[in-house]
Amino acid sequence: MTIAAARTPGPPTVRQHFGRTRVMGLSIGVIGLFIGVVFGLGSRAGSHTSVTWSPVNLSSAVPWHLGTLTVPTRLSCLILGLILVALGAEVVVRRPERGVMARFGVAGIFFLFTLILWTGRTLGPSQVSSINFTAILIGSSGVAMVLVYGSLSGVMCERAGVVNIAIEGQYIGGALVGTVLASTTHSFIIAAIGGAAIGAGLGWILAFLALRYMSDQIIVGVVIVTMMAGLSSYLNLQVLSPYPQYNLGNLAPPLAIPLLSKIPILGPVFFNQSGFFYAMMLLVALVSFGLFKTRWGLRVRAVGEHPKAAASVGINVVRVRYINVVLGGAIAGVGGVAFMAVQGQFQPGYTSGLGYIALAGMIFGRWRPSGAVVASVLFGISVYLAENLQTYQIPVPTEILQMFPFLITIAVVSGLIGRVRPPAADGLPYQRD
Amino acid sequence: MPEDPRASLLSRWTRRTSQSPLLVTALALILGLAVGALVIIVTTPAVLDAWRGSFHSWGAPGHAIKVTLDNVGAGYRSMFTGSVVDPPQFWHSLTTGRNWSLSLTPLSETLTYATPLVIASIGVGIAFQTGIFNIGANGQAVAGGIAGATVASMIHLPTFLHLPLTLLAGVVGGMAAGLVPGLLKAYTGAHEVIVTIMFNYVIYAFLIYTLLSTPLQLPGQQNDISRTFDATAQLSPFFGGSSGLRVNWGLFVAIAVVVFAWWFLDRSSLGFDFRVTGANPNAARASGINARVVVVLVFLVSGGLAGLAGIVQASGTTHLITGGFLIGNAGIGFTAITVALLGRNRPMGIVWGSLLFAALGVGGRAMQSATGIPLDLATVIQSVIVLFVATPVLIKEIFRLRGAHTSALQLATKGWGS
Repeated sequence: MTIAAARTPGPPTVRQHFGRTRVMGLSIGVIGLFIGVVFGLGSRAGSHTSVTWSPVNLSSAVPWHLGTLTVPTRLSCLILGLILVALGAEVVVRRPERGVMARFGVAGIFFLFTLILWTGRTLGPSQVSSINFTAILIGSSGVAMVLVYGSLSGVMCERAGVVNIAIEGQYIGGALVGTVLASTTHSFIIAAIGGAAIGAGLGWILAFLALRYMSDQIIVGVVIVTMMAGLSSYLNLQVLSPYPQYNLGNLAPPLAIPLLSKIPILGPVFFNQSGFFYAMMLLVALVSFGLFKTRWGLRVRAVGEHPKAAASVGINVVRVRYINVVLGGAIAGVGGVAFMAVQGQFQPGYTSGLGYIALAGMIFGRWRPSGAVVASVLFGISVYLAENLQTYQIPVPTEILQMFPFLITIAVVSGLIGRVRPPAADGLPYQRD
Repeated sequence: MPEDPRASLLSRWTRRTSQSPLLVTALALILGLAVGALVIIVTTPAVLDAWRGSFHSWGAPGHAIKVTLDNVGAGYRSMFTGSVVDPPQFWHSLTTGRNWSLSLTPLSETLTYATPLVIASIGVGIAFQTGIFNIGANGQAVAGGIAGATVASMIHLPTFLHLPLTLLAGVVGGMAAGLVPGLLKAYTGAHEVIVTIMFNYVIYAFLIYTLLSTPLQLPGQQNDISRTFDATAQLSPFFGGSSGLRVNWGLFVAIAVVVFAWWFLDRSSLGFDFRVTGANPNAARASGINARVVVVLVFLVSGGLAGLAGIVQASGTTHLITGGFLIGNAGIGFTAITVALLGRNRPMGIVWGSLLFAALGVGGRAMQSATGIPLDLATVIQSVIVLFVATPVLIKEIFRLRGAHTSALQLATKGWGS
């Protein structure tokens, strides 16, 4: 894509940029229209959707009780659709320089939300079944949390110029080590440390082969994933099955933050989570601050964009890359432990491509921690809904929801909507002169 | 490299062999088996107990070594007898002339396993030679399987039409799946690795959709399983269904693909364009090769071969496809990437690489049924082999070989940005 950009002279690129922004605005508008027409007008006039807001476990009951909210489906979908159309029009007319992708992410979240409304509608105003919105948010937040860890790992590695495709393998390793340590020591802190260690180890293998021997980073990454998939399946049959005491399936207990967790709707989602969730939020802030506000971050980005220039001012390119890939691996390993702490017992193959969704989230989030969070929320909701909407018996195949993160990433990398640009030296081997 | 005539015969021999890719592969195989042995040792309770006992009495270390060798040896022995030949059984057949099918089963299984692998790997290898990393071979194989299964089970024709049409449908399915990343790469510059990874998962979801919500699903079934292929669309076993040997006519499809690949890469002008583009994109552009057209064509060829591999796999062995068809990291499309690497993207190299990996895979199954060591050990061994083959310099350092100038694997190391 750099070649294509280089061939076009200055002014057209600017026009191109505005063109892309318009396309983004148009696609936001189209999503809005779709919501309004299909979900809004498509549902019978008198149909209603009942939404409850109660968290799943009643022990953390909120002091104020929120009753079931019954909304007319057609009207609410129409309104939400119109809001998106207005948002799209705003992008087309004003052509803002920043935040277009974030607006697009909002459109995606609106789409999923109205899909829920449309799915749960019942004919007439009577309340037959209700959709527990908070439960959906809590379930999705678990997936999104794991995705954020993976995307952050990708950001750490790729900002320094090393492609980490092995996130899936680091997830598997973290989950495997995590379940054994959590089952034997009953401490999730020790499990997290173990997961970080195995992730760092896999990161080190990638860095060692890619930096010292100039192996192809993508091949090494793919092979690490294959190896971890095989190894986890092997260990599951050989060790975990005969000794179930090593795989108890501990779930990390939620740690309610005293007052904040009582906030209706959002409280249980953000402030009644396991320690992994709070650690994730801390980590996002830390990586974001570190990458863009500190000396270290400047060095990392220099190494990822132009290693020769970085080396000429005395930065040790190879060392920066080693450190970042190992740290990134450790983050993904903790993500694997977090996944185990949400899902319970380890089973081979149960990450089922989540590492690649995290990779997609990193790309959709434009190699930024904050963007990775938006992408992970969007993808996390869609993954959760794809797995759980079957219970609502919707007439659309859930496979389309499963495709959603991947299709949207393909659209983004090919510039059909928006434009992403990876660090310039991403994936290129660096040879010291 | 001109050889020094004064050097002794021995040193010349060692230098020449240390430069051959075969040696690197053989050493990688040894290292892979060593890692596999290590994994067996640390996960088998009997072996660990024996070593723990060796701290308590004097005679025990010898015992512990014996237990270790017994366990590892039994695993690898069953791996060999299950995938190549079981000598006593073979001798029995030779002397009495009976039970040939039993003696030949291991080889037959290995060939059956290798057949689609060769086809898919050649597709990946051709893409590699053009500088394109087709990581989506697995998805393309699944797409070929879906298209082929549709023709094989829902159209009814005589064999001489039905079988070619089924295989053709597989090729077309794979091409269709390859066309998307090809067009995106050529016209928008989207990196093919990202697009093909993502597209794999789109196709997996599509597979589940077709098997659950379309007429391809076996009537009266709730599960994700397709209709059974017509007998006229199956690649039937050479020696008849009653022999128990599964090796089938798909083998000839694979041989034809190998011959085609040799001709295509070494003799055809399009193949030449492909290789020039892979070796030096700038020179290719300067000499008037249309890079966009080449990218799209590479994906058509590579995807078509992957699709063919998918339908050969389904039509030669299972005669139907399920939701688990080629899913996961052990799918032939992923193994094909490693095999192409192992065979250095050359057709004959790929044949040998496929046979090695097929033997490991089949042997893993035999090992599991004979000794209870899970077959996934084979995947681990394969991965270690590939890691070392992709890093030939590391092997030379480990074994202290000289002649550091290996024909280093020139791959599509170009990063996301290009």
